[in-house]
Formats: sequence, C-alpha cells, structure tokens
Amino acid sequence: MLAEMAGAFASGLTLVFTPAALGLMLAGIALGFVVGILPGLGGPTTLALMLPFIFTMEPAEAFAFLLGMAAVTATTGDITSILFGVPGEPTTASTIVDGHPMAKQGQAGRALGAALMSSLVGALFGAFALALAIPVVRPLVLAFGSPEYFMLAVLGLTFVAALAGDSLLKGLVAAGLGLMFATVGLDPISGTQRYTFDQLFLWDGIGLVPITIGFFAIPEIIDLAVRRTAIAREHFTRLGGVMEGVKDTFRHAGLVIRCSAIGAYVGIIPGMGGSVTQWLAYAHAVQSSPGRERFGKGAVEGVLGPGAANNSTLGGHLIPTIAFGVPSGVTMAILLGAFIIQGLVPGPSMLIPESRGGHLSLTFSFVWTIVIANIVTVAVCFIFLNQLAKVTRVRGSLLIPPVLLLIYLGAFAEKNAFEDLYLVLFFGLLGWVMEKLHWPRPALILGLVLGPLAENRLFLSTDNYGIEWLARPWVLVLIAATLAGALYPWWKARSQKRAASGVAAEPAAARSAGSILFTLTIVVVLGIAMWQSLDFGFRAGLFPWAIGFPVLALALLQLVIQAWGKEKLPASGLTLSDPGISAGVAARRTAGSIGWIAGFLAAIWLLGFLIGGTLCTFLLLKVGSRERWPITLALTAGAAAFVYFVFELGLRVPFPPGRLFEWLEPA
Amino acid sequence: MNKRLPAALTTLIALAAFTDGAAQSQPYYEGKTLRIVVGLGAGGGFDTYARLIGRHLGKHIPGNPTIVVDNMTGAGSILMTNHLYKVMKPDGLTIGHFNGAIILGQILGQKGIDFDARRFEYLGAAVKEDVVCGLTKASGITSIQRWQAAKAPVKLGGVAPGATPDNSGRILGAALGLPVQVVSGYKGTSAIRLAAESGELAGGCWSWESMRATWRKGLETGEVIPVVQIVAKPLPDIPNVPLAINFAKTDDARNLILVGVQNSSAFARPFALPPGTPGDRVRILHDAFHATLKDPAFLAEAKKARLAIDPITGAEMKQLVADVFKLDAAMIAKLKAALY
Repeated sequence: MLAEMAGAFASGLTLVFTPAALGLMLAGIALGFVVGILPGLGGPTTLALMLPFIFTMEPAEAFAFLLGMAAVTATTGDITSILFGVPGEPTTASTIVDGHPMAKQGQAGRALGAALMSSLVGALFGAFALALAIPVVRPLVLAFGSPEYFMLAVLGLTFVAALAGDSLLKGLVAAGLGLMFATVGLDPISGTQRYTFDQLFLWDGIGLVPITIGFFAIPEIIDLAVRRTAIAREHFTRLGGVMEGVKDTFRHAGLVIRCSAIGAYVGIIPGMGGSVTQWLAYAHAVQSSPGRERFGKGAVEGVLGPGAANNSTLGGHLIPTIAFGVPSGVTMAILLGAFIIQGLVPGPSMLIPESRGGHLSLTFSFVWTIVIANIVTVAVCFIFLNQLAKVTRVRGSLLIPPVLLLIYLGAFAEKNAFEDLYLVLFFGLLGWVMEKLHWPRPALILGLVLGPLAENRLFLSTDNYGIEWLARPWVLVLIAATLAGALYPWWKARSQKRAASGVAAEPAAARSAGSILFTLTIVVVLGIAMWQSLDFGFRAGLFPWAIGFPVLALALLQLVIQAWGKEKLPASGLTLSDPGISAGVAARRTAGSIGWIAGFLAAIWLLGFLIGGTLCTFLLLKVGSRERWPITLALTAGAAAFVYFVFELGLRVPFPPGRLFEWLEPA
Repeated sequence: MNKRLPAALTTLIALAAFTDGAAQSQPYYEGKTLRIVVGLGAGGGFDTYARLIGRHLGKHIPGNPTIVVDNMTGAGSILMTNHLYKVMKPDGLTIGHFNGAIILGQILGQKGIDFDARRFEYLGAAVKEDVVCGLTKASGITSIQRWQAAKAPVKLGGVAPGATPDNSGRILGAALGLPVQVVSGYKGTSAIRLAAESGELAGGCWSWESMRATWRKGLETGEVIPVVQIVAKPLPDIPNVPLAINFAKTDDARNLILVGVQNSSAFARPFALPPGTPGDRVRILHDAFHATLKDPAFLAEAKKARLAIDPITGAEMKQLVADVFKLDAAMIAKLKAALY
C-alpha cells in the first residue's frame, strides 16, 4: 500500500514533467499571474473562460493548466492588495488591512516579501496536507454531517472578537450586519424572497466579489484622491527591503504554519473557501501576537497570516472535490466541470492507483502542480518585486482612473450582471463611512461569508435530526471549542487590563454627529428590516429574527453610549484626512472624489464600458487632475485598448451597450 | 472646459463606431459572434453541454460565426430566461440555455417569472432528463416494497422548491403515498450524494444520466440502489428497476407523475431563441444545432466526457411545452399542493 502510494507520488511528478503539461502549466501560471494582479477580474471568472480549451487536452495537461492558474491567483492577488489597498482577488482582501498601511509607510517591499514567502509556505503546506489526506480523507469527511458544519460556522464567528478592533460592541454589530446582509435573497429552504426589493439579481444573495471590491477599494481611492500624493507617504529604504519580509516569515514561522493549517483544514469544509479562511487566519494572527493595537496599522503578522492561509486553502479545497465530487466553492465547481469534460469521475477512483483502475498518479500530479506553480510564481515575483514596489511612488492621480475602470470591469465580468456595479458603489460608500468612523469592516465580511453556511446547515441539521443533533459527539467537542474561543479573548483582555492598570487614562471621549448619525441609520435600517421580516413566515424568518433582534439591541446600546459621549475613540480618528490638509479642503476633495466615482459608473451606464470608461478616464485625468496632454492621451489610449483588446476581443465579455445608444437606435 | 475636448470626443465615438460596425457580407452569420448564454453556473451540467456544443456549432452555420459561451446566473436560471424574453435582441445571435423546470414554474405561478415559455423559438435539446431515485443500502430502503412498508418518513435530499430532486420526491409522496420527507437546501446533487453517504439522508431523485456517472462507484458496489425510475419505459441499463407510474392507483396519481416529472423530462434542458427571431435564422440555427449533435467530432468529445446525447427537435419541444399549458385548473391546484 505504502509502496504503491510512493510509486504514484513519483509518477504524478512525471505526469507533470512532460513538455506539453509543463508548457500548459506555465501558460496557466502566466494567466493566473495577470488575473491575480488585476483587481476585480477573479480566478473563477478566468477558469470558466478557459474551460473550452481543455477539451482536446490530456487529463494531466488540463489540470496542470487550470490548477497552475488557480494556484497563483491568491499569491499575485496579495500584491495588488498590498500596493493599492484594492483586493486583487476576493480571497486577498485581508492582506490589505496591514499590508497596505505598510506600503503607505514606504515598506511595500517588506510587505510584499512577507506576503510572497508566506504564500509559498502556505501553498506547500496545503499541497502537503492534500497529499497526506489522500489515504484517510473519506472516513474523515464522512464523519462530519450538517450539525458539525453548522458548529464550525459558529466557531468561525467567534473570531469576530479578534477582528473587532477598538470596540467589541461595534465588532458584534458589524458582524451582525454581515449576517443580515447574508440573508438577502431566496431563503435556502422555502424559497421565500428576503430583502430582494423585487430585484431578480438579489435572489441569489449579494455577490462576494462586488462587496469585497467596493468595501476595500473605494475608500482607498477616496483617500488617495483626498491626499493627492503617491501611495507611499514616507520613504524608508532601510526597512523597505524585500528580504526583510522574507526574514519576517521565518521569524514568525510558528504563526505562518498555524495559519497554513487553518487554510488547509478549514478549506476542506464545503462553503468555507479562501474568502473565509483568510479572515480566520488574520484573526488568529491578531489574537496570538503581542500588541494587538499594532494591527491595522502595518503589523507584518497581519500580512503573514492571510498570505499563508489563502494559499493553503487550495490544497484543502481540492480534498472534497477529488474524493467526493463535492465542490467546496466556485473555483472547485468549475474544476469539477473540467473533470466531467475529461471523462473523469471524482470519487474513490481518484484515490486508487492506476494499476487497480484508479487515477492516483493524476491526483498526485495536482499536488505537484500546486508546488511547482507556486515556486515558479514566487521566484518570478522576487525578480520584479523591487520594481513593483515603486508603483507606490507613482502619484495617485495617475493610478485612480485605471484602478476605477478595472474595479467596474471586474465587478461586471464576474457574473455579467450590470447591477453588481451598483453594489460596488453602495458597499464602497458604506465601507468608506465605516472606515472613517472606526467600524471594523472585516467583522462584517466574516458575518457575510459565514451567514449562509450557518443558516443552511442549521436547518438541515434540525430537519434531519430534530433537536438530537446537539448531542452528537463532534458537536459537543465543537461547542466546547466555541465557548473556549469566545471566552479566551475576554479572559486575556481582563488579565492584560489587570496587568496594565494604572497606565494613562483613555483619551478624552468625543461626541461626533456623523458617528451618531451612522449608528442611528443602522438602528433604523435594522428596525425596518425586522418589521419587513414579519412577513417571511417561520422558516424564512427564523434566522433573520435570531440575528436581527439581538443586533438591533446591541446597535441601540452603541447609540446610547455614543449619544452620552462615552465612546472611546482613538485621538486621531475623527478628522477626514491627515494633518496638513484643512478640513474644508478635505471635505471638498472627498465630495469631489465620490462624485467622480459615481459619475464613472453613470458614464458606463450611459455610454457603455468602452466609450464611457475611456471618456471618464480621459476626463478624470485632464479635467479632474489637470495632467499634461501627453500623459493623459497615453493613459486614455491605454485604457481604451485594454478594454477593447483584453475584455471585448480577448475574453469576449458581453458588455451591454450604453443606454444612450439604445435610446438613439430606431425601434 | 478645454477646447480640444469635443474633438477628442468625436474621435472616441468614431473609434467605437468602427469597432461596432460589422462587415455587411453575404451569409448573415459571416464575421458575426453568436452567443450561447447559460442561465446556470460555469462547470455544471448545463454549462458543460453548452460549451461542448459551442465548440462545434460554428462550423455547421453558413458563414462560420465565432461561438462564445457565457453564463448569466441567478434565480435558478429565471434571471437569464427573463433576459432572453425581454432584453436580448431577436437577431439570431443569442441562444439561451436554461433549466426547463421553470416552464412548469410559469404555470404554477412561481414568483419572478416574466416570460411566456410558449413564445420562445426552441432549437430543442441535446438530452432528456430521466429521473431515478437512488437510495443507500444503509438506509434499509433497498426496494420500493420496503419503501412502502417503511414506518418513518424516508429522507430524500432537495435543493430548492421547484428543483428536480424536490419535485420528484414530493410527487412520489403525493401520488404513491410513499413515506417521504424531502429535506431541502442542499447545494446541488453532489451535496445530496455526500449527505447520503454519511448517513444523513437515505438518498435522492435526479437525472439518471448524472447519477450513474457521479455515483458510479456506489452503484457498482451495491452501496447505492436505484429503487424506482420515474420514466415512461425502463431505461436500457436498469431494465428491472420498477416504474413509478405502475404503482399509481388513480388517474390523478398518474397525472401527477406525468405532469410533475415524466413529461417535463423532454424540455428539462432547452436551447431557445428570443421570441420574434426571424424564421430563416431560426431554421439555420435549428439545422446547425442538430447537425452538431450528429457530428462525429462532437460525439467523440461527448463520449469522452460521458455526456449522453438524445436529441429532441425544436418542434417536439414546442409541442410538449404547449401541452403543459392545456392543464385544467383542478390539476394545477393539485400540482401546487403537492409541490409547494
């Protein structure tokens, strides 16, 4: 048995090392590299576009191509997240939280080095976990049913405490809002419409891609427009080096390994992909590192944790796909299509050696593909890193138009749904307000990604087992872990407070009208949502009620605390911008940039992506930022060529024509 | 404002006009791009058929247009089908592929449906959807007799109201009086399969073509048993599995099975054009579609992917769809009671 495994492991490598497979893998890597870097355009979208090409390939070649592409998007996505504060992939949003502040401090090189090295470690760990899991995977996965999946989602939610930042109360309200946003759409059991406002595009819920892009990218663009500087505000050369980041990875080796494990093992669970594991890993980094107040301001641990986890997730993700044919996420659903096209049936036969009619060598070739693709990518990245980091010194006015265009393009291309652009704008503004008022955005995202899983599995558990599921052994273990997870931060905070008692008092509390208004809005919207939910009926209403009423109570509590002026805010937290820009100028520039962002969307709606997008790029450069003619024309032409050649001709994205042209067209 | 702005604008618009203007050459489809829009996700069964057909369709159309397959997901393909009906142009350059179960949804008054299924121009389908119920040996329900005798409801996996596994399970319960509890909310038949293997469910009912491929190991070892098939005549590879309809004792029960599951199988996976597409283009595409389904190169790739091919013509499909709309109000009420 063991000899057979070893033989298959070796022959898996030979499958990858044929000229055709290796060549296709390199092509896949190159594609994944670019797709990962481009914000918005995600791995799944591209995988779907590449599916038709694999019909004529051999299985080992097809998977070398597709997996090579999938394996590197999380790595190169980190680059965009760090440099621009814009998520390159939805799975790399968490790298922004500390990686982008590092870039702003002139430490882009160090952050990139840390992200790449931890990505490599994570990917290798994930591949290793996949290889090791192969003999034991079936009993392991079959031991878990809906009740255990539900408890895992609940356990994941306890990580909110670590993501909450300054105020646990705000963190809980934000997570609750995320859970409420997750209820938008058809409820999974009875098909009742919840908060869909008669919009079909909301039936399947709010897409994670537009939310993540809007939530993190738009505030960053506004910030850049207000400051009118390059991304890097300070120039450190001493600490800025890439090698420093590599060394950080080994300095915090324990953390990187633990976060890789989180990625790989949580990734096995259907419904928990990189969009979840990155945040769990980030939360773990916050919890386990000294000085939690450093986080969000450029702590390298906050880059290492998610960097490792979003890469190791792929290995974990592949396990249920290969062993059961059950895709654990969108990427895997598309890979499953590739299995079908290749005439392969995922399941036990993937784990049996070829000599007995199985495809074990092929399965091991997946492991090798992940390993090789990541080594190649990281090596290539390191060659260019110091150059890449220089992007942060380019002035913001030149970066804003192309980044905005990419965001809108990517949001559309994911589902070919124009409505997703409105979601980008809505969540962009929400994210901006939350950032300014110190509400933890990650907590909301975690609630959003775990909500559907929790609700779905809760009902499946109760329908299948009644109340008895609570007594299942693994459920009891997970309940204990959840309690421990919930109580540990509280206990730790208490003991730290005791140790630190007598140190300087908190800064004077300040009342802020904007802050109170926002909390009031949350209370009102939640109230309306609860009132609406009375029509849902018991099945569809239970989850919104169970979440909504407690969150409403917590939001009211927050409102009371704020109105009484008891809120503790960081001293610097109330201004719209940095010192050096007067409040009036900052307010004017903020309003202006929001106008441009909305206007960009309006132009695309009116004139289509090619003309509207190009025109806005031009106007933003020439009128908005008064750039010189040569650079304006060059960038505008570049944007137009990019939209036309890459998206229209290359990817054949079905852009809707501008409304104006529809009106002008003779009926 | 800058004086040179209007000039730049004109250039841009001219550029767009240039890129938009297709050459006016002889065969209509020459130099054109034909889209197949799939209402369900990439990588799934519907998508795979569409992509396979898309690879070969072009060469059977005069003018050899470029074929592009893309996905517009949402609301179990209702979103795309509404678009096909209302928004997409009837110029013969768009083919929609959706889940035919929503045609029954239209008759039953399912919310969100904004189309009239009778007005589409159907190209037909590549395959029928023959429903079989597979249950695990571990559940103890190894035959329909044991099912009839079961004391507790037999748990079958469901996806969402109106989906094939849900409809089939509920119809069996309503028409044959079998003890059934449909547990709905699983994310697709693969999740149902996993839950059945872990013992959470007894099994589920969905297309045999997909079940025999994805559950091959279980079926071969006898861990999974096809207990009943909801089809008109036994499928060739499971001739001894009983037909559901033979256990129906009343006309109403028979009709429920026919309308709720059996007759829908032929329009379960339709390819259709927007209403009002010019007749000559419908003919060109219909002929090309069916020529593709006979193309040896296409069939070889379908065989490799183990995709069954069992074509239904556009005329057959249009007739079957029209028939469903002739149901009387009493029958519709019974169907609604059984399914929702």
